[in-house]
Amino acid sequence: MSPGKSLSKLILSDDLREYLEKIPDLDLNLLLESYERPIPEGLRVNTLKSSEDFVVERLEEKGFKLRKIPWAKHGYIAEGGDLGKTIEHMLGLIYLQGPVSMAPVEALDPKPGETVLDLCAAPGSKSTQIAQRLKGEGVVVANDISYERVKALSSNLQRFGVLNSIITLADGRRYHRFARELFDKVLIDAPCSSLGIISKNWGIARNWSAKIPERLSKMQQRLILSGFDCLKPGGILVYSTCTLTVEENELVVNYLLENREDAVIEPLELPGLKFRRGVVEYMGLRFRDDLEKTARIMPYDNWAEGFYIAKIAKRR
Amino acid sequence: MEPLGPTEKRYLLERLKGQHGVENAFEGLVLIKAGQGRIRAATKETLELAKRLRKVQQIGLYVAKLSKGDVVLSIEGTQLLDGEIKKNVIELDEAAAEEWMKASPITSPKKYTSKYVVAKHGEIYLGSGRFTRDGKIYPQVAKWRRVPE
Repeated sequence: MSPGKSLSKLILSDDLREYLEKIPDLDLNLLLESYERPIPEGLRVNTLKSSEDFVVERLEEKGFKLRKIPWAKHGYIAEGGDLGKTIEHMLGLIYLQGPVSMAPVEALDPKPGETVLDLCAAPGSKSTQIAQRLKGEGVVVANDISYERVKALSSNLQRFGVLNSIITLADGRRYHRFARELFDKVLIDAPCSSLGIISKNWGIARNWSAKIPERLSKMQQRLILSGFDCLKPGGILVYSTCTLTVEENELVVNYLLENREDAVIEPLELPGLKFRRGVVEYMGLRFRDDLEKTARIMPYDNWAEGFYIAKIAKRR
Repeated sequence: MEPLGPTEKRYLLERLKGQHGVENAFEGLVLIKAGQGRIRAATKETLELAKRLRKVQQIGLYVAKLSKGDVVLSIEGTQLLDGEIKKNVIELDEAAAEEWMKASPITSPKKYTSKYVVAKHGEIYLGSGRFTRDGKIYPQVAKWRRVPE
């Protein structure tokens, strides 16, 4: 598909175009092309319920073509039908999840026995992924602020068969008030302007306003401080979004570094996932050099979702 | 988050033994009352952590419901008891398993000694169904778990 054809289909407002042109290291033509391509269907085999070989074999017998995702344990890209209508999905033998969306939990790398908080958990994709890595030992606490979204979270944890989970319904910005230094690991997959997943919903582009990242950034700054305060010394926090704006990504992580002296950026290891370094200069602002260690994933890097991922340790 | 009392737990385990021949049910797990006869299971450390948190909505997994004295195991309840369920089990082939997951009634020539029957497809457990006098089994599959028609 040529970029010219893309431009004729997905119409960007002048505001959004102008905004995207300001983002460093972004190829607007490739971005528009990626927005018109569907995101490949990803799945994780639920090793809490069955063996990976058994499930893969069943799906292949049904005609699905599966390709291993290099950066995600138990993750596959699937072609050949609607996985959402399969008995494997309904029974919780697989979980449908975008391929790049699996990367934040891979970066967090939960281990059996750990206590892990997923601060903005609904609908639960990443909570189930954390539970899978815990292998039944330790606890995942899945929190969300919305009662409606918690229902979906509950259904997904049930279908996935997670015994060691707690669902809380609380404002993540205030979570530290009752959970200070309680967790070995914290994931903040923050609510965001979703510019990395416009191909799923063109409405995101239609409804764009420059005020959106500005408003979200303030909330994300409070979320990251609260999440960090919930970490035990020596713990790890992963901050991620599915958007490309600097205000919702590097600016937020920089805010944490400016406000918590014991926060240290850690390098990311995500084999096979193409990404670029985090931005350290933007619109006259200069961030900490360490932000180069964070990952900016453009939708056209892997022809999948766009994401931002930062891994932060809390000094002992 | 009220754990099942000793009498209630004993009743549940006895019913499971009577209905499905289960000798060791949910060992090492805590069982929690979840309203309307529903029972959830969780690990001990999950319950301990939940006591330290606020605004807890639920913990662990929904495993069974007590319905007029009978135990109705959920899909995950039957999967957790894998290997322990010995009677009142219906084995389904791929096509019948699909029908089960659509909540379509299954006709069985076999008679069962319990009102509730557990379905199995190969290695996979599919939850409980209600066995009626007309020889049909009605799968107890929640709407959100059903394979779309």
